[in-house]
Amino acid sequence: MAIIETEKVDLTKVKPYGDTMNDGMMQLGFTLPVPDGDEAVEAAKQLLKKMGLNEPSVVYHKDLGIGYTYFVAYGKCQHTVDYSKIEVPKVEVDTMSKEEVQEYIAENIKREVVVVGACTGTDAHTVGIDAIMNMKGYAGHFGLERYEGMEAVNMGSQVPNEELVAKAIELNADAILVSQVVTQKDVHIPNLTELVELLEAEGLRDKIVLCCGGPRLSHELAKELGYDAGFGTGSFAEDVASFIVTEIVNRDLI
Amino acid sequence: MSLLKLIRGKYETVSIVGMAKNVGKTMTLNHLIGEAIDESVVVGITSIGRDGESLDLVTETEKPKIFVEEGTLVATTSDMLLLGDAKIEIISVTDYRTPLGSIIIGRVKDSGYVQIGGPQTVKETREVANIMLELGAEFVIIDGALDRISSAAPSVSEGTILSTGATLSRNVNKVIEETLHVVNLLKLPEIKDEKARPLIEEIIGSGKVCLINEDYEIQPLKVRTALSCGNIIGDHISEDTKYVVVSGSLVKNTIEDMIKTTRKYKDVKIIISDGTKVFIKPKDWLRFQRYGVKIEVLNSIELVAITTNPYAPQGYYFDPREFLEKMKGYVKEVPVIDVVLGGE
Repeated sequence: MAIIETEKVDLTKVKPYGDTMNDGMMQLGFTLPVPDGDEAVEAAKQLLKKMGLNEPSVVYHKDLGIGYTYFVAYGKCQHTVDYSKIEVPKVEVDTMSKEEVQEYIAENIKREVVVVGACTGTDAHTVGIDAIMNMKGYAGHFGLERYEGMEAVNMGSQVPNEELVAKAIELNADAILVSQVVTQKDVHIPNLTELVELLEAEGLRDKIVLCCGGPRLSHELAKELGYDAGFGTGSFAEDVASFIVTEIVNRDLI
Repeated sequence: MSLLKLIRGKYETVSIVGMAKNVGKTMTLNHLIGEAIDESVVVGITSIGRDGESLDLVTETEKPKIFVEEGTLVATTSDMLLLGDAKIEIISVTDYRTPLGSIIIGRVKDSGYVQIGGPQTVKETREVANIMLELGAEFVIIDGALDRISSAAPSVSEGTILSTGATLSRNVNKVIEETLHVVNLLKLPEIKDEKARPLIEEIIGSGKVCLINEDYEIQPLKVRTALSCGNIIGDHISEDTKYVVVSGSLVKNTIEDMIKTTRKYKDVKIIISDGTKVFIKPKDWLRFQRYGVKIEVLNSIELVAITTNPYAPQGYYFDPREFLEKMKGYVKEVPVIDVVLGGE
């Protein structure tokens, strides 16, 4: 008969769960650029200790062929987090449906809203921007291209920031959407700040609703970067559209 | 050397900008606040990004908190106001909106830690700074964000402190090279031609791209930005063109296209508003200089000081004194300070 864990979770001190509550057990997989051997295993253990993991044990290690070694290791985490105090800022907007957005534009803005979007810098992964902008949309949520009263221009992937800004100027854009999906070595950060800086230099920042989106972007980070909003995973075209149109009205950009 | 002494009486608004994240902007800010507290100087503080949170959002490194004394003025967002433990009297709730709430201007009633996040645009930041000056701040510190330097523009702040540090590269020479590039941009020479200056001021105010000839006649180009229009600018440069005035940004491709379209690019001066409008990497910049491209600005930026941080959160560091001395060796005309080392 299976024994059922009955100890209650203390949400103010959450710890990893291995096979009993609060044992702190974690599994790690990583590579060190050293040849396989006893020294390599010791190096991995020392690293785990430095990471705050007690009783480190390396359960698997294999030479990767070029003098590098891959490890699977276990250790007991000594730290806890207070889950009950966590607050994640999210874009505060009452999301309207596609029809409601269209109505809102017709009633309050009374002209076409121009949105330019792109996946900028080195990023070639357009899933995000396509899901928001393309006509067919994503998961049953139609993209901005299908919205009446909205002109949505999707510039595609690997768009240099300066071309995006030039396009926005050419089209008198009301909003710019930037997507950053694959972001090795935090390359999305300087890439996103360069766009803000270019808009400031062109004197456009005040006149444009600037949004970024991607799996590593949050509304909180958007504040730091100088963007008006940041959309993480799970955002749909309606969320973005609602934010843009209400922001245009609130900031008097009509 | 005291940062406060370099600022007091000279500038009403001072921006702190960094070469990257984790170069010690907040350390510099705290140092300056500390000096102001010692001398009982009332300062105003705001930021174009976010400051005073204990953990960095991107690199998850520990960050210094910001401690303020009674009397200090702050402009921060409503959400972030709640995250500090200093008691703050709310003076006004402004219409400037950010992802973390509206901007609130307040006066510290009981000392403690604060989190600072200002408006999302530099124009609004300047307006918020003005409000704090009116409320009695002797000067206002505008802290930067990440690698952004737009708040150094003379239209936003009168003086600028540039923070640089080991985080840029493991190679100290590379750190110095990149820092010198930004110093060169910020200190680009001002155009001295008194006859041309009022014309240029007007053009930059209007946001246009124009040519000025030897007779000081203005020829506006039918473009809305210099971006992607380097060839058009090049096509219009003639024998008697003296200046090319670009109101907005100056990027690598604009110059590249100009060079491709005309050989006369060497005979003109490109004039921009200030050094924050340049988006050209150090290597390209040096190449353009070899080609004979001449760039001057309407307003040079007052670089108050450079601060160095020898520690990188990536886990390596330079010898603090060596790094400082090396930087001093390359930057003669601006004071270089390590706020942790102090001294002199």
